[in-house]
Amino acid sequence: MNAKTNESLHRLRAFLVRLRSAWKAWPGSQLGSLTLVLGVIIFVSSLISPQFLTPYNITIVLRSLAFVGIVSLAQGLLLLVGDIDASIGAIAGLGAVISAFFMVKFGVDPHVSLLLGIVAGALLGAFNGLLITAFRLTALVLTIGMLTAYNGLNLAITEGRTITGFPSNVTVYGQGSLFGFPIPALFLLGVYALVWFITKTTVFGRNMYAIGNSIEAAKMVGIRTQRTRIITYALSGGLAGLAGILMSLRIASAQPSIGAIWLLPSIAGPVIGGIAITGGIGSVTGALIGGAIMGVIANIVVLGGVSLYWQQVINGGIVVMAIVFDSLSRRTKV
Amino acid sequence: MHLLEAVNITKRFPGVLALNGVDLKVGEGEIHCVVGENGAGKSTLVKVLTGLYRAEEGELSIGGTNINVHTQHLTKAVAYVPQELDLFVNMTVTENLFVPFRSKDRAGGLFRRKPLQRKAQVIIDKLDMNVRPTDVVKNIPVSDQQLLQVGRALAIEDARIIILDEPTTSLTKEETRRLFSVIRKLKEQRKSIIFITHKLDEIFAIGDVVSVLRNGELVGYAPLPEVDYDWIIKKMSGKELDMTKRYRPTKPPGEILLDVANLSGPGFSNVSFTLREGEVLGFAGLVGAGRSEIMQALFGYLPAKSGEVHLFGKPYRMGSTANAIRQGLVYLTEERRSFGIFPYLSVRTNIGVVLPRKTARWGVISRQWENRISQKVMTEYDVKAPSTETLIRNLSGGNQQKVLIGRSMEAEPRVLIFDEPTKGIDVKTKADIYNLMKRLAEDQRVGIILVSSEIEEILRCANRVVSIYQGTVVGENDIGYLNAEKIVSSIIGVNR
Repeated sequence: MNAKTNESLHRLRAFLVRLRSAWKAWPGSQLGSLTLVLGVIIFVSSLISPQFLTPYNITIVLRSLAFVGIVSLAQGLLLLVGDIDASIGAIAGLGAVISAFFMVKFGVDPHVSLLLGIVAGALLGAFNGLLITAFRLTALVLTIGMLTAYNGLNLAITEGRTITGFPSNVTVYGQGSLFGFPIPALFLLGVYALVWFITKTTVFGRNMYAIGNSIEAAKMVGIRTQRTRIITYALSGGLAGLAGILMSLRIASAQPSIGAIWLLPSIAGPVIGGIAITGGIGSVTGALIGGAIMGVIANIVVLGGVSLYWQQVINGGIVVMAIVFDSLSRRTKV
Repeated sequence: MHLLEAVNITKRFPGVLALNGVDLKVGEGEIHCVVGENGAGKSTLVKVLTGLYRAEEGELSIGGTNINVHTQHLTKAVAYVPQELDLFVNMTVTENLFVPFRSKDRAGGLFRRKPLQRKAQVIIDKLDMNVRPTDVVKNIPVSDQQLLQVGRALAIEDARIIILDEPTTSLTKEETRRLFSVIRKLKEQRKSIIFITHKLDEIFAIGDVVSVLRNGELVGYAPLPEVDYDWIIKKMSGKELDMTKRYRPTKPPGEILLDVANLSGPGFSNVSFTLREGEVLGFAGLVGAGRSEIMQALFGYLPAKSGEVHLFGKPYRMGSTANAIRQGLVYLTEERRSFGIFPYLSVRTNIGVVLPRKTARWGVISRQWENRISQKVMTEYDVKAPSTETLIRNLSGGNQQKVLIGRSMEAEPRVLIFDEPTKGIDVKTKADIYNLMKRLAEDQRVGIILVSSEIEEILRCANRVVSIYQGTVVGENDIGYLNAEKIVSSIIGVNR
């Protein structure tokens, strides 16, 4: 008994030591400089607009951040493996619509319907992964095709109409707050905790990094690359489905257009956050901070009164800048 | 007056002093050999000379012109032939030789096909290659591709210095001889050659002068007739090594571990052999004879068409690398850089990634167990790295290889297949690896298959040898009955 307590104390101590060294390394690390960039953006934003740091606006930012954040994490997982899913927004939209269909049209229990929407997203993602790995296709090209197919499927199911009539015990997940925190933002935190756990501490997550580094070497050490990739696609699709559902609950209607503009931010977040587009480098924490940077900028652009068209120019410009910056920082000086 | 004079070249990488005040003087028409262990700084030096890297300190002049080494300074006076194949595989031989086309080779936006093909033919003849100028590179043999890389250097008419980085790694004896006669012709044309190699025979066959690097410093320089093998080895390693030493396991072999019957697959057919506990079985053959394919099929990396394999008398299931490792068969690849390491992961992760059974419970990794195992591998296999958290891409080739061997051994294999384990590895680390194989066979009773293109290596390390020629077994003998000539004649298909 005593020895056991001793051992757990020892472990706790080791954990604290690691935490402290991680904390000390934070300012110099890439994640540290990302946090700094985010801080500067927030500071500048508060100068530009007095409304920016009001509690009301902060909850708005957090709430909208949740959707971009979750798809950033979903796409980030795929980028780590060296894969990509261009249909991620379409999967989100389909997830929302399918969930709403079960709930409103078939009268299935609301919570079960939400789960079914997530499962549908996972299946759609897994289908992409299956096609890509079984026929050795280029992920980007295949998923651009699937983007159109899934969008079409969405319109075929809904006939282009919006589904409304959600019970209020589920719309609270999109609209409600808990202790002042918007509930979608809490979902984002939960998703972050989940993907952090998977990528940082599990064998599965390390296999993801290994495949992203060198898929041939991964095969050589006995990693089941096809299975790992398909599961990652499923995971990513499931998270996209969740984001789509949360969005539909927030606006209390499942519109076919949900997720239509999510592709760009889903890639921009991880790339700004330091995940290499070629795979194997970076972390989900980076993807989260990158997503936050995108979200804050999107908000300040609106507060600053920039017209809708110019907002797009700015958003696109940020992504291009991020990619250029990423490439410059990775270029080894020799 | 030397054609190339590099004085006091110093180059730092984060945490490493790669070159420390190195001097290199190459005369006109001189064949200057540069030797050194892995990580001695040969490649770094070459990259500074060609202008790919900038140096922190030092002076460089080529043909009397001073060159600023503190900036990148690509120059046409130096042509570099890299060790690894670096060709446009979907383009023709001619295009590969003359890209980028200079203005006089062009007519408008097009290049002058016929005259260039004639020029290409001249270079092909010079190199005695068996290809046409119009052949697409991916369709010509690997050895011709390697010669084509040399041809590229010849196509640069302004080049006065040609650097050859281990050009003979995938060439046969005959092709090496051809290459050497080309080098001698270049010498007659007053071109200077910097020849980088691990093979000491080659230095004596062709060199005028030798420079020896060790740990980023120039430790020896001598005109060649004045020194011998022992001198070079002593300088390279800092101590004397016995080149005639045998590393073969001496304990009698045990039970049959692996029994392969009539295995057929891509590039090989009807291969049968057995492997016993505690023995080293050599696989001799030319590059491209199908040895790697046989091993990769056994390992489950390539598909096997037919054949029966038993491991410890039980049927062995092929087709999946994960199954192979679980059943106790591990394969160490020849292509360390592309199929072996995970470059952007730490040494610890590179080790842990093959050992989920030892480092994780319920799919969650224990950092503590993983640290313990990676520390153990670093000490036992004498890996030189700042820490287990260093990215493996920052280690030298020899140290990467030690990590790969160490992690394979931690998987506790009963059959270990080494595919060209000493390719591109220096003399001293080679001896380490030979000793390691002997130890594993004798103490842990592992059955080892050694695939090697160096006959010398097989004679020194193996108990028995299987000779492969064009995908079939042409001989299986105890090493006692064999000598080098006998193996050579079997693998080139002479006494069939």
